Order: sequence, then C-alpha cells, then structure tokens
Amino acid sequence: MKRIRFHGRGGQGMKTASRIVGTASFLEGYIAQDCPVYGAERRGAPIQAYTRVSKNPILERGVIVHPDITIIADETLLDDRTANVFQGVYGGTITMINTHYSSAHVRERFGISGKIVTLDMTDIVLTQIGKPVLSSVAAASASKLTGMVTRQSLKEAIVRELFSVDIPKEVVKKNVEAALICFDRTPDIHIDHSEPMKEDNTFVKLEYSGPYLGTPSTYARGNTVLKKTGNWRLFKPVIDHERCSRCRACFVHCPHSCISLDTAGYPRIDYENCKGCLICLEECPKKVILKKREVREW
Amino acid sequence: MNVNMEKSAYENFKDISQDEHIAPGTALCSGCGGLLALRLALKVLGENVVIVNAAGCFTLLSVYPFNPFRSSWMYTAMACAPAGAQGIRDALDILIKKGKVKKEDDLKVVVLTGDGTANDIGLQATSAVLQRNLDFYYLCYDNEAYSNTGFQMSSATPFGSKTNTSVPGGVNPGGTAQKKKDLFEIWRAHKPPYMATIAPSHPVDLSNKFKKAAQFKGPKLFITFAPCPSGWSFDDSKSVEISKLAVQTGIWPLKEAICGELSHTVIPKFKPVETYLVAQERYDHLFHPVKQVDVIRVIKEDIDHYWQPYLGVEPLQDQS
Repeated sequence: MKRIRFHGRGGQGMKTASRIVGTASFLEGYIAQDCPVYGAERRGAPIQAYTRVSKNPILERGVIVHPDITIIADETLLDDRTANVFQGVYGGTITMINTHYSSAHVRERFGISGKIVTLDMTDIVLTQIGKPVLSSVAAASASKLTGMVTRQSLKEAIVRELFSVDIPKEVVKKNVEAALICFDRTPDIHIDHSEPMKEDNTFVKLEYSGPYLGTPSTYARGNTVLKKTGNWRLFKPVIDHERCSRCRACFVHCPHSCISLDTAGYPRIDYENCKGCLICLEECPKKVILKKREVREW
Repeated sequence: MNVNMEKSAYENFKDISQDEHIAPGTALCSGCGGLLALRLALKVLGENVVIVNAAGCFTLLSVYPFNPFRSSWMYTAMACAPAGAQGIRDALDILIKKGKVKKEDDLKVVVLTGDGTANDIGLQATSAVLQRNLDFYYLCYDNEAYSNTGFQMSSATPFGSKTNTSVPGGVNPGGTAQKKKDLFEIWRAHKPPYMATIAPSHPVDLSNKFKKAAQFKGPKLFITFAPCPSGWSFDDSKSVEISKLAVQTGIWPLKEAICGELSHTVIPKFKPVETYLVAQERYDHLFHPVKQVDVIRVIKEDIDHYWQPYLGVEPLQDQS
C-alpha cells in the first residue's frame, strides 16, 4: 500500500488532489481511498487530505500518520506548528515541496529524513491556468511518485473529477496541460526502504474531564495578531507612497484591519498579517498600489 | 419620533475612526465582506460592547485560544443568540441597579449572526426579543447562504443563484427557485425603534446609521450585505466592488426604518443588473452555455417591483 498525505491551505485544492490520485489509481486497477480533514471550512487555513492506494482491500481508515509520500503544496506551512507537515515522516518517505528552493536547501533547513523533491508548482499553474489552484498539479506529482499511475489515467481522472465539480471545459483543459507538465518534471524516484511503516491501530482511551475543559475562555485581548496570517498571501500589495494622495480608501476598506495611517496620514500595511486579498489595490482611486508575487526566503 | 442627527455626522473617509476593535489574524476568509462591515460598525460602537455570536462563519473570529477583540465575546448556538443577549442585558441591568457595575461601565450588547441564523434557525428568538423590546444591537451579515459549512442554500439565498444545494441543471436550470426571504419587512412588522440595511462599500452611510441608532433605546437591527469570495466565487479583491454593484443596480437597497417608518438613504443609479450578475460565478449558469433570459427577466422585474412604489416611475432596469 502507498499512503499519500497532502498539506495545503483551504482553497488550494488539496481535497480535489486527493480525489484525483484516488480516481487515477482506480483507473489503473488499484483499490483507492481518499478523504480530507479540516476544521470549520475557510480559505487559507491549513488542511490535510489523504489517499491510500493498494492492490488489496484497504482495511485502514482515518488520518495517515506515517506517509510514504507527502505533498506540501504551500511552503509557508513548513514553519506552521499547527500544520505539522513533517509528522511521522520516516526514512522511506518522499516529501515533495512546492517551492523554488532546491531539495538540498530543504534538507539543510529542516533536517528531515527520507527523500526530498522540490518543484515550483505555483509558477506552473500561474503560467498555465492563471490562478493559484494546485489540485491537478499536486495530484500529478503524487501520481508520478507512486510509480503506479500512467499519464493517461491521470489525465482521465482530472477530467472526471473537475467535471464533477462543474469546472468549465476550457479550464479543465488548462488543468490537464499544467498537470502533465508537472508529471513530467517530477523525478521518477522510488523508495529504497521497501518496508513501509505500519499504522498504529490502537484506540486512544479518553478520560472524563470537567466542563471547564469543554467551554474554554480566552482572556487575552486581540491575540490573533500572533497567528501571522501574512503566510496566506500569494501576492503582496505595495503602496507607492510618493504618488499616494492620502485619501484613506485603502485604510477604510481593508477587512482585516491590516492598514493603519502613520502620523503624516500615509497608509502602512501590516505585512505580518495581511492576507493579500488586494481590496486595497482595487479600491485605490489613483491606482498607486501594486501587486508583487510573494517570493519567500527561508 | 424626533431624530436629531448630531452636527458631527460622518461625511467622508476622514471621519472614520482610526481605532481598530478587531485585531488582524482571524481565521476568516481573505477578502470577507462581512468582516469589513463588522470592522466599520465596531469603529462606531466603540470598545464597550459585548458581542453575542451565533454559530456561523463568524464563529471563526475567535478560535481557542485566539481572540481578535478588545471587548467581550460570547458564543451561542444558532437558535439562541438573542436569548443570550437578553440574559447579558438583564445581568448588566441588575448589577448596575445593585451598584456592582458602575453606570459608566455599562456595555452595549451586540448580537452577531449570519443570514441562516437570522432568517431560518434563529428567527423566532429574534421575534421574541423584538416583542420584549430588548435594548440591544443586532447585526446580520448576509452572505446569502450557509457559507461556513460549504455554501448550502438558506432562505436568504437569492432567486437564480447557485448554491451547493440548489445546483442548476436538469429540471431546474435556473438554480435557486425560491425568492429571497424579506427579513427586513419581517423585522419591520415588529416596529422596532431603529433598523437599517448597510453595505461594506458604503462606509459613510454605514457609520451614520450606527451613530443614529445609538440614540434609541430598544432593538437596533442591521442587515449588512456580505460579499463572500469563496461562496459566490469571485476574486478576493472584488468584495467592495461587488457590494457597490449591488447597491448601484438596486438589488441591495440601502434603507432605514424608524419605528417602522421607512426611508431610503441611497437612491441607486439602476445600472443593468447583469453587471452585478456576471461578476460572480454563482450566476454563471444564467449566461453560459445559453443566456437564461427568463430568469434574468424575473430578477429585473423584482428590482422594479421593489423600487416603483417608492420612486413611482417607469421600469428602472433596462428590460432589453
């Protein structure tokens, strides 16, 4: 059995990616299982999705603790403790990260075990599809790394899955093109460790705890700033202060309280938390706010 | 009823407070129109508020152990936010009467709910507190579906739009077959002292309405238009633009009612409603693969039927 774990942010298409890999392996004659895990749904929050592929009936259920293949579709999750992207990674795991950095850089920075592959998937989708939706390309990479899925089955699975969620024909076509590029650029590597980790099937027994644990209270004021949602951003708004007329349209219309005014009345953006919705850019009457592709250094 | 707008009414963006009452970093979607309306509303309401939040998208404002507010926040089930507000108001009144809370430390009680709660699940509790004339604020962020759970149809979902439980196709090519419930008129039948509709694209209008509401004792109700980038399928950056189009096409009237007496605060330009519809993928099926002229005509007629009694003129929407 191959266990694939996808990490991404809500809206990037990891749930669909896990389905595409499942369908593609099913078309190859394997038995497949897929499921996503997220809290209350919203764009931008870390989510996981799982696919299990096997020749034999799959008796496991639930989360994948020891993945054979991990796809990390958003590099900002690497440092997010709640996302815990390296959980259960072992010597036989292949980790695929969507980044412009090399795999050597990842190993040096995080020192994880197993094989590491990197590919700038975002660049591929922005060029091919024009939108930062990673479902098809993430599925393509995972499919290649399983060594069990052919180009043809991948293509058919993408068409089936995207049609089932009402994606227009021309967009599906672009997705297929992007996915095939990604499939070809993903190296054809295999796992040396033939022995996959066994999933632990024991039940965790939970003891009774008092009602105060079930009804938590927070006494800190405004501590969501610690969450640093600037990680969600793909494009960064940059204000040209020399041409800014201090009209305040950007400040007034920022939903996330991320634009404040300095003592001279010029708007300043809180990049640690700005989610990159770009309403400021849209509302700026003089059009002096530019958008820049976020290239992160880590 | 004598309404005295203070001289210092909001006139432009310079009048909008620079104090922030919601910290950045919430888990809400990037570009959330409802959050922008709440942020602007709290700038007028100030810091001495206690928010009673019914389950919905805004549940995610405060995910333990994080909290974006400088004021208090209490979470309730969908059906009972107004009942929660009653409890808090009564407790504050009793504590003030006993001298345990100083009068100047009193808090404004603000109910915060989505359209599913306001129109469906929590409607009876709202009707009950209106009838009891509870002194509180009510802000409904209307994103026209159950957005938090994956965009299912609510009774605030507009005719002809697509949700995940009113998918266009087969016997029902137009998507949602029912008309949007007129929550404003249901509330108005109770004749509360103040109620208004607002939109995040009209911050000055919004601010003035909250300011005006402050002089009334009793229920003060608001429904804000809440463009939803993920549910309505448009780019995060377009929330304010979509909101402007909704007002300018006449599909989202900006109005207020004082003790039941209605007036409009913005008279729209009546741009063709198509400009609003084509900007969102939830209306895509009305234009592709074939234009559903009948469905669009009904949407236009509804706008006309709404506005004609107030403006008394020929069809406002271009019927071509």
